[in-house]
Amino acid sequence: MAKRITTHQYCDLPDLGERLSFKFNGKNIKAFTSDSITSALIASEKTLLTRSFKYHRPRGAYDVFGQGHESLVTVNKEPNILADRTRVEDGMFVESQNVWPSVDFDIAAVNDVLVPMLPNGFYYKMFHKPKWIWPIAEHQIRKVAGLGKIDVTGKHVDRRYEKHYRFPDVCVVGGGPSGLAAAKGALDEGKQVLLIDDNPELGGHALHSILPVVNCSNSALNGIPEYKAVKKLIEELAENTNLEVMVNTSVFGLYEDNLVAAQCDANLFKIRAESVVLAPGATDRHLVFENNDRPGILTARGVENLIMCHAVLPGKDTVVVTTHDGGFHTALLLKGAGANVVAIIDGREPGSDGEFEKQVRNLAIPIYKGLTVHSAHGKKRINRVDVGPISGGDSHQSFDCDLLVMAVGFKPQVNLLSMGRKRPEWDSQRQILRVNDLPSGMYSTGDVHGTASFSRLYTEGTDSGKAAALNDDAPKTERTADEIIMALPADIESAGTHHFICKCMDVTRTEAKASIDEGYDQVESLKRYSSMGMGPCQGKACHEAVARLAAIDTGISEAKAVPTTMRPPFSGVSFGVLAGRAPHLSPIRRTPIHQCHIDHGVKFLDAGQWKRPDSYTNPQEEVGFVRNGLGMIDVSTLGKIEINGPDAVAFLHFMLPAKYAKFEVGRTRYSIMVGEDGILFEDGTISHLEQGKYYLTTTTGNQDAINALFQWWLLVEDFDVQVKNLSLANAAVNVTGAASREFLQKLVEIDMSNKAFPYMHCRQTSIADVPVSFYRIGFTGELGYEIHFPAEYGESMWRYLMTEGETFGIKPFGVETQRILRLEKGHLIPGTDSDALSSPYETGVGFAIKDDKVDFVGKAFLKHFKDRGLDNKLVPYQLDPSSPIPDDGVAVLENGEIAGRVTSSRMSPTMKRGIGLAWVRNDMSGSGNNFTIRLADGQDVTATVLDHAVYDPEGLRLKS
Amino acid sequence: MSFQLNCPNCGKRAVSEFTFKSELKIRPAADADFSEWTDYVYFRENNMGRQVEWWYHRSGCQSWFLAERDTLNNTDHRSFWYEDLEQNSKDKNGGN
Repeated sequence: MAKRITTHQYCDLPDLGERLSFKFNGKNIKAFTSDSITSALIASEKTLLTRSFKYHRPRGAYDVFGQGHESLVTVNKEPNILADRTRVEDGMFVESQNVWPSVDFDIAAVNDVLVPMLPNGFYYKMFHKPKWIWPIAEHQIRKVAGLGKIDVTGKHVDRRYEKHYRFPDVCVVGGGPSGLAAAKGALDEGKQVLLIDDNPELGGHALHSILPVVNCSNSALNGIPEYKAVKKLIEELAENTNLEVMVNTSVFGLYEDNLVAAQCDANLFKIRAESVVLAPGATDRHLVFENNDRPGILTARGVENLIMCHAVLPGKDTVVVTTHDGGFHTALLLKGAGANVVAIIDGREPGSDGEFEKQVRNLAIPIYKGLTVHSAHGKKRINRVDVGPISGGDSHQSFDCDLLVMAVGFKPQVNLLSMGRKRPEWDSQRQILRVNDLPSGMYSTGDVHGTASFSRLYTEGTDSGKAAALNDDAPKTERTADEIIMALPADIESAGTHHFICKCMDVTRTEAKASIDEGYDQVESLKRYSSMGMGPCQGKACHEAVARLAAIDTGISEAKAVPTTMRPPFSGVSFGVLAGRAPHLSPIRRTPIHQCHIDHGVKFLDAGQWKRPDSYTNPQEEVGFVRNGLGMIDVSTLGKIEINGPDAVAFLHFMLPAKYAKFEVGRTRYSIMVGEDGILFEDGTISHLEQGKYYLTTTTGNQDAINALFQWWLLVEDFDVQVKNLSLANAAVNVTGAASREFLQKLVEIDMSNKAFPYMHCRQTSIADVPVSFYRIGFTGELGYEIHFPAEYGESMWRYLMTEGETFGIKPFGVETQRILRLEKGHLIPGTDSDALSSPYETGVGFAIKDDKVDFVGKAFLKHFKDRGLDNKLVPYQLDPSSPIPDDGVAVLENGEIAGRVTSSRMSPTMKRGIGLAWVRNDMSGSGNNFTIRLADGQDVTATVLDHAVYDPEGLRLKS
Repeated sequence: MSFQLNCPNCGKRAVSEFTFKSELKIRPAADADFSEWTDYVYFRENNMGRQVEWWYHRSGCQSWFLAERDTLNNTDHRSFWYEDLEQNSKDKNGGN
């Protein structure tokens, strides 16, 4: 029987806060604001929290610090929340996980009876033949073996996931006595310190210790019990403005150069610290014996926490199993809270006489020496324990009880110290797994090196904090003989087959042995086959037991026990936190004309970081505006680079594969770029604006990359040129359609006639007193002018042109419309219609290469490609008007074999049939040749290779 | 990859701010044998240990610089400008 206590004989009880109530599996539970979900449930006699993964055995609270799967619940429809660490809120809905139909009556618990028939690897062995059975079996298995269910409607998520950054001098992980002392040590050196703890309040295990502090170097703390001393220390630190404290925050990863990753609710913290001090402490050791997973078995620190932090006595008749004086401390706390301590089972031989053992003796509590627990009885709650020799064998005695407290030593939380870089080793002297040397800039202190007195933890913590502040060598730690707790055998070899090594994944000693017999006799393969340590706690509870038992059962000395590799994340991290919302990291880029598009009712598309107009009405309809009237598109996202200086031509000759010696002022050309590997990666236009001044446009995606590339070449090669990146300085629109000349002539003073300003020429002039440059090019296939002008006139120029063009029926069109327009002309887009294997010759832009130059980027490979001839070719094609439109990327077939692929495919509203670009084998690329395209649904359609563009093959409309 | 790289302009920054280009290598002459060009374009030394590399501070000052990095542990970088390459190569006895 659990109950809430109002007084305690040996300590002050905390203020529990306001009363509130919440729902657990539909039932009302009364609680206080200071309660965790677990403490509130225990106080209300809800011992049974969940069912186990495989056998659906009843499980209840165990360590009360959120390390095991028992602690996972669904809160307000959000799954896998740690009940141990989550404070209750009024009206909260808490549900058990992995139960059906209810936690009290679970049908799959029949698995427990069937254990002998469910060997390890059962599912894999059973359902792999015939092949079709696995998906069905998997579906059924997942229903009963799993964690919480995600609410896929996502309606419960009204929170925003954010990323935050911190750059402290020293980051201290763990807010127990040693972590607090480390923070103080670093603060005293004048450093900025960030102190992180994963519990709701600082203080660590000292919060529930009534041992008086003695011999502490901080004399203010001497003579008062630890739970008061640690609060005094916290108050002392709180005054320091150089300290930032984060509680309820789990550090889940430690990476190179002291990058500390931590989660607090929906927030991800990326902390870059000069030094990191790890003070993660230790938790009660996991003891393996028969039915060691039953509800009602709790760790000593868990029980102490419930009593001293939540005023909850978790049982009435209690048995304490121990191997050190700490167990007697727990017994005293139980007694003082009004519990009946039936027996203390001490694994040590008579002769030990700790401070608390003496006090307990005076209270006439029966103490049994040299024994330990052999098995627990009772299903949904223990009702009896058997005890016997620590070597196992037959049990001597039984005790009726409803609470069994495990105080058999401590297991350091070495995970963060290890993190895939340093493997813990078994320290035979200190009887724990330890990580000794850490990468530079990382320090560790406290219980993680073995439990010690408050004063020792304080001194070592201060020293570590100081060393971290000064970047000194890590101080050595020391433990005296009376501080060392001898480890019990990793498994108490008593009768029965329910000795759970890993409670999360329901793996027993029997199964581990069977796996070893099947050949999985290395700790890493044993873990993977049996799935020990792969559950929600990721081995935090069991890694020591796994390591020790794997060593014993594979015939290795226990001193050589190594746990499996410990990797991040140390604690569960929600996907939302990792994905986050970080617009400041990847900015949204808007063109200077952005607002105008919104006013037109645009649908945007994401082009890298850019927001570009996809279309305003319907792309198929917008094609008609351009073909039959006048259209305008925002092309401000083009890269725009101005090149001038004495070596401008030499630089262009080197960077681009074409020649520019005879490139006259006022001319514009199509240009391509290749890498040193000869592969086409870019196309655009180049114009000779004024004598020695060239203007290169690049595709949106390569805007930054080409500028960076030019800057690199200017660094390593000797060219006397100035390269100006005007990409963001200039806005640009393309005004296109048969009426474009007549329209623009009205706005400018220069002669726009075909004779004075022919196709592929450029002019500089002004519109409404704004300086502009015109480039007469033909990406859309119609007469058209690209107009570039200073970005600050973006909106006003767009609006001016829309107003002035009204009588010509000007309409805006978007990027998707432009893709159809260019496809009707057979124009490629590098990166869409080409890839990292596309030679410019095969892509069909070999005409833009003039390779009779001494040296230029890509020359050697272009020559190689030319000599090799064409294997494949990018060709324009058309479909029969009745054929469906293939998706981009579908396969081209010949005699049932893949012979190429479609890169762009659209319905042509002008030709009223499917058109596209496709890579085919060179021998299939002849004009008029037919090939097969296989659609995503398996249907085949026939395509015909075209010699030229499907629309206006002679380019008459462009040049008119 | 969470290490920090030293930009000669901006100082220590997270590596995610930078773009890696390549190891430092010498571009063959235009008329060099094609196999030399293949080596240049496609082969990497991929040293286990220290090597000099080209880096670009993409999300920062947008400068190109060289960094000598230990590929084993990503620690102890030395970053410098290209124009100081010769000086830095001498420092490490000819090196790369």
